[in-house]
Formats: sequence, structure tokens, C-alpha cells
Amino acid sequence: MGNDTLIEFDDVTVSFWQNNVGIHSIKDLVTQRKNPFSNKTILKDISFSVKRGECMGVLGRNGSGKSTLLRTIAGLIKPQKGKMTINGTFAPILAISAGLELELSGYENMELLLALYGKRRKDTDAIQSIVSFSELSDEVLRMPTKRYSSGMLARLTFSISVANDADILIIDEVLAVGDQGFQNKCMDKIMQVRNEGKTILFVSHFPDDVAKICDTAILLENGEIAHRGTALDMCEHYKQLF
Amino acid sequence: MQNISRIYALSKRNIILRYKNSIAGFFWGFFKPLLYLLIFIVVFSRQFSTIDNYVLYATSGLVFWFFFANVTNQSIASIISSSGIIKSLNVPVVFFPLSELIGELFNLFLSLLVFSTAMYWFGLNYSPRLFMVIPAVFLFGTFSLGLTLILCSLNVFFRDVGILWTTVQPALFYLTPIAYPESLISGKYNLVIKCNPIYYFIKLARSIFYEPAMPPLSLWMKCLAIAVVMLSVGYFVFNRLKNQFIAAI
Repeated sequence: MGNDTLIEFDDVTVSFWQNNVGIHSIKDLVTQRKNPFSNKTILKDISFSVKRGECMGVLGRNGSGKSTLLRTIAGLIKPQKGKMTINGTFAPILAISAGLELELSGYENMELLLALYGKRRKDTDAIQSIVSFSELSDEVLRMPTKRYSSGMLARLTFSISVANDADILIIDEVLAVGDQGFQNKCMDKIMQVRNEGKTILFVSHFPDDVAKICDTAILLENGEIAHRGTALDMCEHYKQLF
Repeated sequence: MQNISRIYALSKRNIILRYKNSIAGFFWGFFKPLLYLLIFIVVFSRQFSTIDNYVLYATSGLVFWFFFANVTNQSIASIISSSGIIKSLNVPVVFFPLSELIGELFNLFLSLLVFSTAMYWFGLNYSPRLFMVIPAVFLFGTFSLGLTLILCSLNVFFRDVGILWTTVQPALFYLTPIAYPESLISGKYNLVIKCNPIYYFIKLARSIFYEPAMPPLSLWMKCLAIAVVMLSVGYFVFNRLKNQFIAAI
């Protein structure tokens, strides 16, 4: 494998125990006397590779396994089968309010997430760049995040994620909730990150965004890669699904 | 090093979250043992007049018990309640119960300071051997972490583990000689006490704060063995289940 391949998946299969219908307590377990869990396969024999600087889109219906794929790539989920090689660091997965502690203020959340990400807790540069990128006022950032609107949450999570100068940025449908101004700003930032030669994995239900940001794309269907190719072709395939 | 600062950040979060929106803050941490102590004094102290210095006897057990109760109660939902972080960042999941333990250690430290000062009026003998509380807390913390790992990982799949634990806890409390002398339960029921692992840690705490003699080596060894076995079992269970957490939270 060349040095420029950042992510390589070879026949990766991910499955989970799934709670059988109706058994959610020990009482049910005792009275129904069957194995409460069955194995459910979420991703089946996934193979692909992403080169350094490549931007790959992931398209698919709801429940086709997109988020599971992203989490597997980020190392949050261990595959049951297959080989997975990763040569880079990840920014926190960007999903709406991902990882935010709703009782804590914006500042406290920044500190927590930066520390969990592995930065120094009082990284003032990072905090400064988060504050200025998010355009949230000091007053707002002192408020518990439970009082934020979904757009404000998106601003905060996006700003925290891009403040980490990681090799790989994973974006899971986060752009939809910001206002027009912030969406444009995020798009610009994504393009800037892209032009810096970083790698982006991008999930979206807006084929136009995928076509704009990504070079290549895969289309997931029921946990399998149904199609792969250039981002433009895949967007066509995606539109034909509906 | 990076992991230490991660655990530190999580522990700090736990402490902030616990006392957020409360005025008395961490004082609640020792109001609870204090209240129990008052009840004990009113109800039991004349009953158990064979125990000299009942206040000190009960306090030494209570402070340790509430440490244990708080660790398990706080940690049992630690994985479920951190689902947002677990689903977006690659942080070892064991850090979540571990950081709850560390937050509780901080509380225990404050409680010990307050109570060991207050116990001056109840004849606490200040001597260097009080520092033996450090290894004792370490062993009890290890034991508590082991049990916590089992409870919090099972709780991910069956939420009634949490409910069950809060139900069983008072029974466990009264099965441990905290309010009453050990000699109260004798004969064949003595086995019930001897099989209760917490009994040994309470005994250890009591021998540091209350008994005139040093804690015997055999007691240290028993506590060490119980703590190591509990942590190993807990870690084994946790490790077997941890890959399934993300789908269940």
C-alpha cells in the first residue's frame, strides 16, 4: 500500500447484536426465555480506498449504513470481518450536536471536546478560532448549550471540528440546519480545507453539495456498495433512486 | 499523557455537571452521611452502648460506604449518558466510568477533610497512621471500579440493572456492619457478613480511624485480593461487551 493511501477497507463487515422484538428488560428475558439478541449485519463486504487529498462522498437512503460506515472509519466501531487500514488522524465526526454536553456552556464544551480530541485544554488559539468562526457572541457561549437553537448547535460543532487540524474531516449531514450565511461559510471552509490537501468524507442528502465538494463517491444500498465512481455519476444514480 | 488530560477533562465535567444549578453544591456530598449519622446517633447509639465512641465508629463506616454508593450510582449510567461523545469521538469507553470514580475520589477527599476535622471533638487520634487511608481508598476504589464496570456495561443492554441496583443497595447497606457492631450478627448468619466483600473494606477503614491497633496484614491482603479479583472480572465483562455499546446507546 502506498504512502498516499489514507484509508483502505478490504471486505469489511460490521454487525451488531440487535435486541429482539419486545425484550427490553430482565423480566422479559426470564419470561420469554429466548436469546434476546440476534446478530444483524449493517455493512457487508465493503471495500474501497481513499487517497490523501481525496474527497469522497457517501450517498444512500436513510438506514443504508452511511453513519455506521463513517463511525467504522473513525475507529468507533470495530468490524467483525475484513481488514481496515487508516493512516491519519480524525477530527470529531460532524453531526448535529455530536458530543456536546447540553448542560454545559459553549466554552465548557469547547474545553471538553478539545481535551478529548487530544489538544491542550487551554489551547487559546484553538478556542479563539472556534469563537471567531462560529460567530456566536460571548453571551451565547456562556449559556448552557441546551438553550441553543439547532443552527447554533451546528455552528458550534462545525467550528470545533474544523479547529482540529486533523488529516481527515468527516461530515455527516450537518449543513442542513445552519442559516444561509453560515451554510455558505461552511461550504467555503470545506473548500478551503479541501484545497489545503486534507481528506474529506462527506455524507449528504443534497447531491449538489456532494457534486461540488467530492471527487469520488460511493452509493450505499442495504449495507453494500451498490455503485461507485465519480461524484457526478453517483449523484445521477442517487437521484434515480427516488 | 494525552489520556490523562482526557480523563481529567471528563472528571471535571462530571463534577461541574453534578452540582450545576444547585446552591449548596458539593456540601450535599457530606450532608447525606451527616444526616445518616444523626439518625444513627438518635436511634442506635444507646442501643449499642457496648461500642464506645459510637459517633466515630459510625462515621468511619459511613464515609466509606457513601463513597462506594456514589461511585456505583453515578457510573451506572455513565456510558448511556455520554452517547453523544461515544458516537463521534474515538475515546476509550472505559474512561467514562473511570472519570466518575475520579470525581467521587475528589468528593471523598473533601468529605474526609471535613469529617476528620469534626472528629477531633469525638476523640479521633491524629497520628501518621491516618495516612493509611490512602492505600485503603485505593483498594476500595479499585473494587468499586470493578463492580461499576459490570453494572454500567450490563445497564447498556438492560436498563433495569440500574433500577435493580438502587433497590439492592439499602439491603447491602444494612448487611454491612456500619450502624451496628459486628458481634450483633453471630452464629450461622455470620456467614452472610463474611461473604459481603464491602464488609472487609469498611473494617479496614474502621481499623484506621477507630481501632487502637494497626490494621492487620491479613486484612490488607484480603482487601487486595478482593479488589484485584473484582477489577479483573469487571474488566473482562466490560471488554466482552464494549464493541456492542455503540449500537445499543
